[in-house]
Amino acid sequence: MLFPILAFAGAIALWLIAIRTGRGLRSTLLPLAVSLAMLGFWDLGCVLSGTEIFPTPLDTALAFGELIESDRLLGDIAASLFRVTWGFVLAVAVGIPLGLVIGWSTRGFEALNPIVQGLRPISPIAWIPIAILWFGIGDGAGVFLIFLSTFFPVTVGTTAAVRNISRVHRRSALNFGVKGLDMFRRVVLPAAMPQIITSLRIALGVAWLVIVAAEMVGMDSGLGYLINDARNAGSRYDLVVATMIVIGLIGIVLDLLIRRLERFEEVRWGYEDR
Amino acid sequence: MSHQPSKDAPPSKIIFQGVSKHFATKTEPLHVLDKIDLEVGEAEFVCLLGPSGCGKSTLLNIVGGFEQPSAGSVRIDGVAVNGPDPRRVFVFQEYGIFPWASVWDNVVLGLRRESKAEQHRIAAEVIELVGLTGFERSYPMQLSGGMKQRVEVARALAVSPDVIYMDEPFGALDSLTRLTMRREIVQIWQRQKPTILFVTHDVDEAIQIAERIVVFSARPGRIAGIVDVNSQHPRDITTPEYAQIKGRLYSLLGVSQQV
Repeated sequence: MLFPILAFAGAIALWLIAIRTGRGLRSTLLPLAVSLAMLGFWDLGCVLSGTEIFPTPLDTALAFGELIESDRLLGDIAASLFRVTWGFVLAVAVGIPLGLVIGWSTRGFEALNPIVQGLRPISPIAWIPIAILWFGIGDGAGVFLIFLSTFFPVTVGTTAAVRNISRVHRRSALNFGVKGLDMFRRVVLPAAMPQIITSLRIALGVAWLVIVAAEMVGMDSGLGYLINDARNAGSRYDLVVATMIVIGLIGIVLDLLIRRLERFEEVRWGYEDR
Repeated sequence: MSHQPSKDAPPSKIIFQGVSKHFATKTEPLHVLDKIDLEVGEAEFVCLLGPSGCGKSTLLNIVGGFEQPSAGSVRIDGVAVNGPDPRRVFVFQEYGIFPWASVWDNVVLGLRRESKAEQHRIAAEVIELVGLTGFERSYPMQLSGGMKQRVEVARALAVSPDVIYMDEPFGALDSLTRLTMRREIVQIWQRQKPTILFVTHDVDEAIQIAERIVVFSARPGRIAGIVDVNSQHPRDITTPEYAQIKGRLYSLLGVSQQV
């Protein structure tokens, strides 16, 4: 019972310090206090229920150390990131140009938008059997699934971005004789870029959700596989929870990385007043 | 009150002939402009004045080449208008400059085919003319409304246009900035002598800046009358002479000045 008591005492202390400090420090201390309290409840729950399978926070921390020592964690992280990166890059390479065309050309929109909208509601998870059929168990299927799950948000987001370009900007470009490829380079792409970046952010978030599910069902490496493997290999729920935390942390890092794109001066205008 | 410039004036720069515009709606067609006949002289500064929805902006979009008239024609230098043209530049109320590009990159938009040296010479010159030297690397987001509108004016001036269309360009600015901008646009007009077609619903603004004021009736827009303002700048519009012009404009607009 020592851990929960210490955790709650720590949480209360942090809270009391936080409410007496300025906004900068407070915004760090408050969530820290809440996290400590949650750890306390977690441990308390384990103790009170007398569970022998569900890990305490301490078990999880030890499992985390075990994962790092085993060298396996880095390999599985690399496998997941590899699939996400390639699927995402391919989706961006196809989705942005396609979205620009669908958004800009009326005929392109009429011909392709219904197809995109029709395929979009199919969960990428539902494609797993087909991915395995076509690519087997391995990176190919993972990359394909990530491509599918990111291609639609990127394409649809780019299409919407182009269709949102203000009439005044299109007209001033026409007024100065901008046309053809120059129009795409100077007006369409930069005007759509803030919203495209938002769609990339959404897509990357989806990709990180999907890859874990895909690896749990149809792959033999990666963080999703690690979770399944830990459970199958003698109900190692301590490893399961430790891996879940790793997945969450990497998701946060990915989002922070892609959000850096929003800081460029060429796109910052798109995020004001929203 | 004549619809034509005087007999010995040079031939008209812009000629509107029977320009009508209607839009299809679900119930009945919406008549926006009804048989507009108007001639604008070379280097003339003309205001199109009228209530909201009278079609004056539509007329500007038609002469600017962004919209087609339903009937009638517009000719500039004797040639029918057929789409937008870089020699005639539009200045929008809602900031037509590109927010993703710096002041400098906005201003050189119309100079894409010039040499680098020429781009530098012209851009530096027009940026100085509108008083934005030192802000070349700034982005529109970092500028006030008045400065953004100056960038747009500089971008227009960079191509030495022979006509500038301004669609309530100062409508979104506060009243003090608006006054400054009016003075600046008059000075630019005096120096460079482009033909200016300036749409406004502000009676004082029209009197302060224009040589000739074309008054529109409410929809469907027709020309209710044309008022000359034959006087030098700077103008003090509190004098009786301007009060008289103002009275005529209000009566043409069918509005009482008294509240």
